[in-house]
Parts: sequence; C-alpha cells; structure tokens
Amino acid sequence: MKRRAALTLAVFAAAVVAFAMPGAAIAQQKKLVMWTHWDQNPDFNKWYAEKGKEFAKKSGYEVEVVTVPYQGYEAKYLAALMAKSGAPDIFMGMTHQWCGQYDFCEKMPDDLAKIYEQNLPKYMADIGKWKGVRYGIPIEHGNFQQMYINVDMFKKAGLNPDSPPMKFTGDWLADMKKLTIPDPKGGDPSQVGFAIRSKGAPVGITDKFLPFAHAWGARMLSPDLTKAAGYANSPEMIAALTFFGDLVNKDKVASLSFGNPEDAFGQKRAAVIFRESWFFGWLKKNAPDVNFKVYALPCEKTCPGAGALFPWTDLVYKNSPNKAVAWEFMRFISNAKDDMDHHQLQGILPVWNANLETDYVKQRPDYQSTKAMLAQPVPPTYFHPKSNELATAFGEAVVGVMFGKGQPKPLLDEAAAKMDRILKD
Amino acid sequence: MRAWYRLLFPKTHLDRRKRAGFLFVLPAILFFGAVFIVPLVQSVLYSFYRIQPGGAKEFVGLGRYEKVLTDSTFWTAVWNTVQLLFFSVPVTVICALAVALGLNHISNLKWRNVWASMYFLPFATSLVAAALIWQWIYEPVYGFLNYALSYVGIPPQKWLQSLVQVKPAIAAVSVWVRIGFDTMIFLAALQAIPQEYYEAAGIDGANAFQRLRYITLPMLNAQIVMVCILELIFNFKIFDQVYATTQGGPAGASQTIIMLLYDTAFKFFRFGDASVMAVFVFVTLMAVTLLQWRFFRKPIEY
Repeated sequence: MKRRAALTLAVFAAAVVAFAMPGAAIAQQKKLVMWTHWDQNPDFNKWYAEKGKEFAKKSGYEVEVVTVPYQGYEAKYLAALMAKSGAPDIFMGMTHQWCGQYDFCEKMPDDLAKIYEQNLPKYMADIGKWKGVRYGIPIEHGNFQQMYINVDMFKKAGLNPDSPPMKFTGDWLADMKKLTIPDPKGGDPSQVGFAIRSKGAPVGITDKFLPFAHAWGARMLSPDLTKAAGYANSPEMIAALTFFGDLVNKDKVASLSFGNPEDAFGQKRAAVIFRESWFFGWLKKNAPDVNFKVYALPCEKTCPGAGALFPWTDLVYKNSPNKAVAWEFMRFISNAKDDMDHHQLQGILPVWNANLETDYVKQRPDYQSTKAMLAQPVPPTYFHPKSNELATAFGEAVVGVMFGKGQPKPLLDEAAAKMDRILKD
Repeated sequence: MRAWYRLLFPKTHLDRRKRAGFLFVLPAILFFGAVFIVPLVQSVLYSFYRIQPGGAKEFVGLGRYEKVLTDSTFWTAVWNTVQLLFFSVPVTVICALAVALGLNHISNLKWRNVWASMYFLPFATSLVAAALIWQWIYEPVYGFLNYALSYVGIPPQKWLQSLVQVKPAIAAVSVWVRIGFDTMIFLAALQAIPQEYYEAAGIDGANAFQRLRYITLPMLNAQIVMVCILELIFNFKIFDQVYATTQGGPAGASQTIIMLLYDTAFKFFRFGDASVMAVFVFVTLMAVTLLQWRFFRKPIEY
C-alpha cells in the first residue's frame, strides 16, 4: 500500500515537472513576447501581434503582446528583466533608463540602425540612443505636448478658436479665466479653462509642468546633467512654478478635483489640455463628439519647444534567447508602409520621414501645430539614467505647490538639494 | 549533535516518533526559512551595501542608514504611516468589539451567522478591488459619497484629493476591510466565556456596564492584545489600498513607509536604501509587539 502511494506520488510529481518544463521551453521557442505599458493605445499594441502572424509564416515565431498597466510598470519590468526568466524579448521603455541605468538592452544591428538614421526626423535622431549607440526604435513622432482646445467651449466663452492664445501670462491666462465657470458658492468650478494633471506619480506631474518651466527659460538640470541646484530652483523656475500653482490656487482656472485631465477634456469639463500626438487618436475613439483644434504651446520668455521627458522606444532584451529573431521582427516592420499603418490605426503621428507629408498626416488637426512646435527653440532634454528618480524629486515640489503645501522657493530648494544628492549617489 | 544523529538514525520507538514529528514540521520550517528568514537576513546584509543597478555591491557600513535616516521624505512617510495607524487601529478594534458583542447577543444561530458573514465579506475581498471601489465612492465629482452627502446639505468633499482628508479616508477603507476578521476573533472568544460568571455577577447585582468592565473585557484581554498587534502590523505594512487609490498622493500626503520602500527598490533600484527601510520596519514592529505583549497582556483567572 505504502509503495503504491509512493509510486502514485512520484508519477504525479513527474507529470507536474513534465507539464511545466517543456511547455515553457516550447512557448519560448515559438513566440516572441513583447511588453508594453502604453495601455491607452490598445490598437497600436495589438498591431504588433497581428503583424506577428505574418512574421510567423516566414520565421515560425508569433508575437504575443502583453500590456502591463502603466501604474507600477517599472517594478514589473525590473523584476522580470533582472530575473531573466519570464522576461519579454521586446519591451517598450526609455533608452537612457533601461539601457543606460540598467544595461538590459541589446544593441541594434548596424544595418537596421542605419535604416533608422536615414529615415527618422532629424529632431528624433538621439531618441533610442545611449552614448551614441542605437538601441531603440522611437515609437511616436509628435511625442511632445501641444495645446488641444475645445472649439465649442471657446465660442461659447466669446473667444475665437481660430486665434489661439500666444502668451501664458497674457492672452492665455485671460482666456482660461473666461473659459472657467466658477461655483457661485465658492466651491469647485463646474468647468475649468485648463485641465491640469494633479494625480498620480510626481514624475508624470513634472512632465506636464516642464513646458511651463521651459517657456520661462528655466531648466531642471544643468546642460551636462550633473547639477540641479541653481537650475531646478532658479528664479525662472520659481516664477514658472508660481504661475503654475496660481492656476489652481489664485486664478482658479484649473481644479484639483477633476481627476484625470484627459477625461476632464473628453467630458467637456475643461477647455484646454496639453498632450502629445496620441491624444488625437484617443479623443477620436473615446470622446468623438468633442470638437477640437490643436495648436502649438503658448510662449512666455521663450517658447517651450518640442521636448519629451518620456522618449518611448521599442527595445530588445539583452538576455533574451530570441534576440536575433526579435531584431528580425523589428526589421520586418521597419518600413514606411508599416510605420504608417501602425500609427494610423491608433491615430498617432507616424515616425518615418517618408510619412510626414502624407494625406493622413496633413489632414490631422495637429499637422501645422507639430510643425510650429518643431520650429520653436529646441528645449532641454533630461536623458539621464536616473531621470525618473530626479523627476520624481522635482515633481514633489510641483505637486506640493499645487496642493498648497508650501511656497515655490523653499520647495524647489529642497527638491534641488535632493536631486543633487541623487546625482552624486 | 547526538540528538541530531538519533533523529537521522533512530534506534528506539521514541526516536522514530521524534523523527516523524520532525519530518512533519520540516516543510513548514523550510517554507518559513526560504520565504521569511532568508530575505530577512539578505535585507539586513543589503542595508550595509551600495548596490549598483548592474548588481555590483560596495560595502558602505552604516552609510545607507545615515542617508535614509536623515532624509525628510523617509520621516514624512513614517509620520504618514503612524497617523494612519492612529486613525484606523483604535477604530477597527473598538468597532469589531462592539459588533462582536452585538452578534453575541443574537440567540438565533442562523441570523448570527448571516450577520457575521456580512461583516466578514470585505475581508475576503481583494484589497486592490476594494480600494478601487472606494476610489469610486470617494470621487469628488461623480462619487457616491458626495452624492449621498448632498442630500443632507453637505458640500462636496475632496476626500482622496485633499491633504487633510486623504488619511482618514484611507483609514476608513482599512477599518471596513479588517473589521470582519477582528469580529470573528472576538466572537469566538466571547462564546468561550463561561455563562456562570455572568450569572454570578447578576446575583451580585452587577449591571451591564459592570459585567462588560469586570468580566468581558478582562476575559478578552489576550484577544484584544493579539488583535491590536495584528492591526498594528497590518496597518504599518499598508500598501495595497494606498497604491491602488492615491499612489502616495496628493503631494505625498498618503505615502506610507512601504510605498516609499517599494518605489525606492523597484522604481529607483536602490536596494540598499530599501533594505534600510525594511530593517527599520522589522525592528519597529518587533519592538512595539514585544512592548504590547509585555505590558498589556495580563493572564486572568477567576
């Protein structure tokens, strides 16, 4: 009886092992796994899997796309990429973070890198590179904030939607006040001029504040990215943050109660939002009745320019057993037609030069504004391996001002000191 | 050494029984060792190292401790955690005790079980799911709570988006989640109190409050101390609710120590710093638990 039980147990254990081990191996051999956290663009993500079916006819490898929720994606990526098991073959991320800080990326083959050197818009040349070496494929042209306005709300407020405000402290603020419908009882307004980002991780709030900072002539870090004091807390930065905080606390043209700014704009509770090219597609899909136009961002001392704190790229994992096939897949989709199909599907601006003057791009409401943004002075970039941590420390000051925790100067002084500690450590 | 030898090579019937006992507890020891002891030791070791993103380690002695323990963000997170504790632990324990006393008075077993199940249900719910539901309840514009309050003339509140209200709001979620579990413990203990004590007190002329004060509460002392310790540990380690609802916001007002630890380790890859925080949490909880056990647990004998 005992022997029989032991035998049954052994057979069961062997079956479990046999079921678990080769299954995983087969799955690894037959498909490429891609992770993305662009959860607001599901069609864009799905396209990789669809294209993977074509690729499978040639290579035997399909592509499985896993959309990781944006909130907390770093931890999931980091755990998998460090552990090596269960890690993706291809993943979306920032080159300076995953290749610079962590060394998780496989260098792009030279021939493919050459294709991108020849076909990317000039301003995107450095996106996807770390120390001059190309690792990643940039996934969005127009990955910088522009000004989306609600045409109907502008008209209703007696404003001309064809003549957008040009200066933050001038006509822009005046327009935001006209677009805001205050609560007569002194509570939160029922409609605001500007949809402000106040929730979520401070790094995202930094991203939304930086156009203001750059317009005031400020920068978060020194040009060589080695110092924060004197930059993150410069008089220009203090002035920009004072203006930004006043939008909520003094001028009351933005509200902290409105939650997600994209939803507020889509629900016609906010008349203006600053967002990137993907927002056009998002609006078309999620708020098709919003009548909107897109303009270049307003200016102040200077213009904010086409800058991005999150230069997203597709990267290949260095320790993937399928990295050669992964690059084959990347090569398979690296052509102007696929670039166009892929981005048009989700309403995002395509990346390849050859597509920038196509009918699809020209007919988009952000065609002129994208050009206008690119004509503005080039803003500072912060492609530092610790950019997330630095921007988090900075964002704590921004959000602190918005919520009335303190005045801009002391909060920025504290943030600058903290950022310098991060840079030195 | 000899005992181990006899455990491995038993000679007598008693030795074989000891070996059987040892083999029965061995899986639990291995599991506990692998899941708790090894990471604990590793955390303590890591707290003395500066760990590079590539994995390279540099021994820095108490350097990481100095860095973390002089960081204002760390102490803000500790203070936030302590405030959350003060908001939720006493309320949870008192409410659970009150509910258990109420349930204990329901003589119909069926109805008692129905009510107990209702209180216990939130505990069986996923914390993240519960937090997301509460996030909707607290939503300032479309949320249920403000909608309900509007009927009694209370203006809309910001709840999770207010520096002042965010902690009580999160604490309320903790109370809602934990009350059922604590109630079950108290209810079981209440049912174990012999009825003779109450009958004797009744003959002596004790009123309801005196019965509670001099019989029920002393007899529940062990359970109250245990529940307090459990609540303290649960609330000190609070993460899911905060992560799912506010992510530490607004403006860091709900960033707890475990949230900070998580960000430090997995967002910024500072395992040395995160290990210091983990050691701090362990030492603090251990000290508070021992103090509670030492000073508040009183053996009661009637």
